[in-house]
Amino acid sequence: MSIATDARSAIAARAAVSGSRLTVDGIGKSFQGPGGSAVEAIGTVSLDVAPGEFLAIVGPSGCGKSTLLQVIAGLMLPSTGRVRLGERDVTGEPAHMVYLFQQYSKSLLPWMTVANNVMFAFRHRMKLSQAASLARCRDYLAMVGLADVAAHYPWQLSGGMQQRVAIARALAAEPQVLLMDEPFSSVDALTRLDLHSLILDLWTQKRFTAVLVTHDVDEAIFLADRVAVLTQRPATISEVIETRLPRPRHSIETRESPAFLALRHRLLDYLLTRGGGRSHARSA
Amino acid sequence: MTQLTADASARSVPRFRSYRLRDSRASGVALVLVLLGLWEASARLGIVQSSNWPPFSTVMTTLFASIADGELLPVVLSTLWRLARGYAIGCALGIGAGFLIGLYRPVRLALLPTIDLLRPIPIPAIIPPLIFLMGLGDTLRLFAIAFATFFPVALNTIAGVQAVEPVYHQVARTFGVPRAAALRRVVFPAALPFILAGLRTSLGIAFVVTVIAEMIVGQEGIGYYLITMEFAMRAAEMYGGIILVTCIAYLLNRGFLAWEARAIRWARLAETMQGDRA
Repeated sequence: MSIATDARSAIAARAAVSGSRLTVDGIGKSFQGPGGSAVEAIGTVSLDVAPGEFLAIVGPSGCGKSTLLQVIAGLMLPSTGRVRLGERDVTGEPAHMVYLFQQYSKSLLPWMTVANNVMFAFRHRMKLSQAASLARCRDYLAMVGLADVAAHYPWQLSGGMQQRVAIARALAAEPQVLLMDEPFSSVDALTRLDLHSLILDLWTQKRFTAVLVTHDVDEAIFLADRVAVLTQRPATISEVIETRLPRPRHSIETRESPAFLALRHRLLDYLLTRGGGRSHARSA
Repeated sequence: MTQLTADASARSVPRFRSYRLRDSRASGVALVLVLLGLWEASARLGIVQSSNWPPFSTVMTTLFASIADGELLPVVLSTLWRLARGYAIGCALGIGAGFLIGLYRPVRLALLPTIDLLRPIPIPAIIPPLIFLMGLGDTLRLFAIAFATFFPVALNTIAGVQAVEPVYHQVARTFGVPRAAALRRVVFPAALPFILAGLRTSLGIAFVVTVIAEMIVGQEGIGYYLITMEFAMRAAEMYGGIILVTCIAYLLNRGFLAWEARAIRWARLAETMQGDRA
């Protein structure tokens, strides 16, 4: 009970500081399938994300998680419903949201140095002098522990370092909302734990709203305030669980805590047996 | 143990030698020298009996004399200047059209059939009708060079623009990069390996067309020089001109390859390094 209160007050404290509420209001998305029939990727999804909250969305692979995140990011228009950031409808790419892509090897531009990749994120929206841009770039690279690789090309770095550069670039744009599309899935297991701690540190420092899409239940519980569970395609939200784990979270202890394990049990049981509609899909 | 070592070293020595001979460039250069030697011998020993078959040494002496007395330099410069202008026009139009066609579906639907129809026309075949339209001046020659340059550049640019990783477009969008800046800073560099391949292909074609156009139209350039020397029965000058043209084409291609390798070094390295990691 006291933990829950702590978590709530932490969220409330954060809410007082940062920007606008993200509202996903009855989003649906259909694609033109082969033969002209419409394929429904997202059923109807509604979400309400408080400013400064960390929300994780988990679901089976191929359930339309990435599609949902792209619609929220304004990279794709929904077929029905709307996304709102504060009082404004999201119809294109809004200035205060940044999408962090799954594949660092494709999202970092290989013909630019690390520094130019980071500056690419903000030099078109913020009119800064070259010196100010470089200083800003150095600050954000230092934040992810990579101050010394500014002059390198991304492909000269390891996978984990490349994803750190991608994180620095995303945050250098100073987003109110950071949308993360399985950003830790293509690095090795130890690097992943490292990046989890890094993203939590940066989230605590910068107080942005975080929405993470993942198929990794442990990752979702460790990072998030709330975990939304998606069903099989067409995706709908079947359950939203508050993690209520104390912060700051610790790489090892938090993952071994009874509360963590209980949540893990509950979510895995949900995904594997009731399967977010999997058995329903099979019987149909 | 000692026996084994001795054996291994004994075998490795000749193998090492044959490996070097097979892999060195010496054999390729040797063939060129042998062919030039055959040329020289066939003319000197009278194997080919013709007043129009001077020995290679005479051709080279004549060539150097023509360069030294200042006869050839303006001819070569005139050709290169014509090539540069026609090529530049063709490249600019080809890259521009390639971007429009590659990026915008309505433009693609409107223009591609025409391009597919015009592309296979042999350039020399359109020069006679073009003489009616453009006269015998530089306009015609520049048009022919630009026309020949256009297609490889445009088609490669289209392929390059369409092959741009979709995530790159989304990266530009999520950071709110304006369309024009995204084209310049994302689409263009991403498509550059394709574009440069088109530019290199069309450079060779443009050079051939330049020389042919000079042979058919006008009184300038290395093409005109070759025809004149042929009519004047000055075989040594003619062969000298051909050797000079060959050398220029070879150097243009080598220079372009070196520049291209530097310009898109990132693409080659990125591919090998990311590939190693995966």
